[in-house]
Amino acid sequence: MMIDVKMTVNGQERTASVAPETTLLTFLRDSLVLTGSKLGCDVGDCGACTVIVNGNAVNSCLMLAVQADGKDITTIEGLSDFEHLHPLQAVFEQMSSFQCGFCAPGMIISAKHLLDKNPHPSKGEVQEALSGNLCRCTGYTKIVDAILELTSEEASAA
Amino acid sequence: MSKKAKSATKTETIDGLKTAAEGAQLPSVSRIEEHSLLPLTPDANKQTPAVGQRTTRYDARPHLTGQTMYIDDMTFPNMLHMKILRSQHAHAKILSIDVSEAEKMPGVVATLTGREIPVNSYGPSYQDQPVIADDRVRHHGDPVAAVAAETEQLAKDALEKIKVEYEPIPAVFDPLEAMEEGSPKLHGETNVYASKVIKKGDAEQAFKDADLVLEKRFSTQMVEHVPMEPHASIAMWEADGNLKVYSSLGRITLGRADMARTLNMPMSRIRIIATIVGGNFGGKNEITSEPILALLSRKAGRPVKGVYTREDEFMSSTTRHPFIMDYKTGVTKDGRILGRTVRIVCDGGAYCSWSETTLGKGAILSVGPYNIDNIHVEAHAVYTNKTMTGAMRGFGAPQVCFAYESHMDDIAHELGLDPLEFRMMNAFGEESPSPTGQVLESVVVRESLETASERFGWKEWQK
Repeated sequence: MMIDVKMTVNGQERTASVAPETTLLTFLRDSLVLTGSKLGCDVGDCGACTVIVNGNAVNSCLMLAVQADGKDITTIEGLSDFEHLHPLQAVFEQMSSFQCGFCAPGMIISAKHLLDKNPHPSKGEVQEALSGNLCRCTGYTKIVDAILELTSEEASAA
Repeated sequence: MSKKAKSATKTETIDGLKTAAEGAQLPSVSRIEEHSLLPLTPDANKQTPAVGQRTTRYDARPHLTGQTMYIDDMTFPNMLHMKILRSQHAHAKILSIDVSEAEKMPGVVATLTGREIPVNSYGPSYQDQPVIADDRVRHHGDPVAAVAAETEQLAKDALEKIKVEYEPIPAVFDPLEAMEEGSPKLHGETNVYASKVIKKGDAEQAFKDADLVLEKRFSTQMVEHVPMEPHASIAMWEADGNLKVYSSLGRITLGRADMARTLNMPMSRIRIIATIVGGNFGGKNEITSEPILALLSRKAGRPVKGVYTREDEFMSSTTRHPFIMDYKTGVTKDGRILGRTVRIVCDGGAYCSWSETTLGKGAILSVGPYNIDNIHVEAHAVYTNKTMTGAMRGFGAPQVCFAYESHMDDIAHELGLDPLEFRMMNAFGEESPSPTGQVLESVVVRESLETASERFGWKEWQK
């Protein structure tokens, strides 16, 4: 049995016919070939698959594609293109916040979700917002610092 | 060639080549162009401004935009997916494996068991690990069969159709118990498979001369690397009969050698393409499922991808060794260390992997960066029915560092000395000999301790 799903992904309407057990992550990676979102644990612990669904940060490995039917999805690919970075990506690049990079797409989506809701978070709020995204290389320091640098820059510019 | 011709050639030879050319059949060289030896990097031997500078990583932008291609992001036409069936027993004989039901499932293209692997053993030090267990499983998670199917889900479903008959045998999980004579044995007659001894001076005499002798046991736990990207590879056979493998493997040359051995084919016909790796930390330093993928790909005639699940990763990839460490140290009243003995038992798990290397490094470093004239270190690696332990950041250094530094604190406390002063008194200096006799250069232990203690306000904290 296959089910037709239709959703808006990074501003474009996308459709596909999927098996019922297909997760949103598998739909994005396999049906749409948007491989930026990663599979790290498949049980919602690591956050490498984080995407934004109707304004909420979601572990896409825990959501079925059919549950996302009709919804609005933003993935890492929807944030920027290679030439024009999102301010978060720019500050992460400048501060070399990531190493192996596998957690980066999920981490950036979580950070974007935070700043969308709360443009001037405290350090504690940043740490809280990223608590669902695991990174094994960095120890998180440079990631948190970069976000705070960005928000303080914006604060001083305003 | 006549003797005359030979000697004529000889007279033309320039001095430096005389010996080498003697008896050689090739014409000798009469003149060599002089090349000045340029350093490989133009700034060699010069202080560059790079230290302390912030730089942008080359790989930052592809990582940050989600464009980096890790193995799981790659796909090839007609590619199949592989899943591994793993043992649910810690120690058991395999009586039979029946893959026939799995093979009948629609979407299943090929299966593989240990008996089908040309040379079913590998390992960086000792080749004691089967690629797929064939007659015996030695830990919960040992691979027993593999399936290649059209989708990951189909491969996973097919694993449930494989029938394996086991006969459980007694297992041993504690490394000290594993060293006892009557314990269950994993390979051969004994579970101790590597030993290192370092001796310098007379530690027993030093203990007699000491004002205080302190003994303590330390132990550390098993640690999984948990790279964010699980182990992943894709294998395919090219038209010319060569094997091509895309892999997250860190050591591709060693990987090619291990593949050549297990597949019984020349190394020159195996190409491994190392990709961007989503975290290694030592856990991706040897082959795992690569030969399985290669053989399934040969059977199916199609590329096969294998990505470990997080469960696979925890159950069957290498981990950091748990160490049990007995320390004994003799000191004078004023804080000079006279002698130290260390006994280490390294829990190697079911297979050697990098244990032998880890044991050596752990043993050498176990005394700590301190000048001690009388040393006796004895270290053993032991098989247990647990996930094998292997390379992980530091190769045994973190385990012993935890032990000797805790031990140093205890001694300082007993002597009523400041722990920092006690370390400064005994720390390595320029040209200190290491426990194995290496003369050390550029030693900045004391300077580092001093700077660090200033930075975090050690003296103020002491007050």
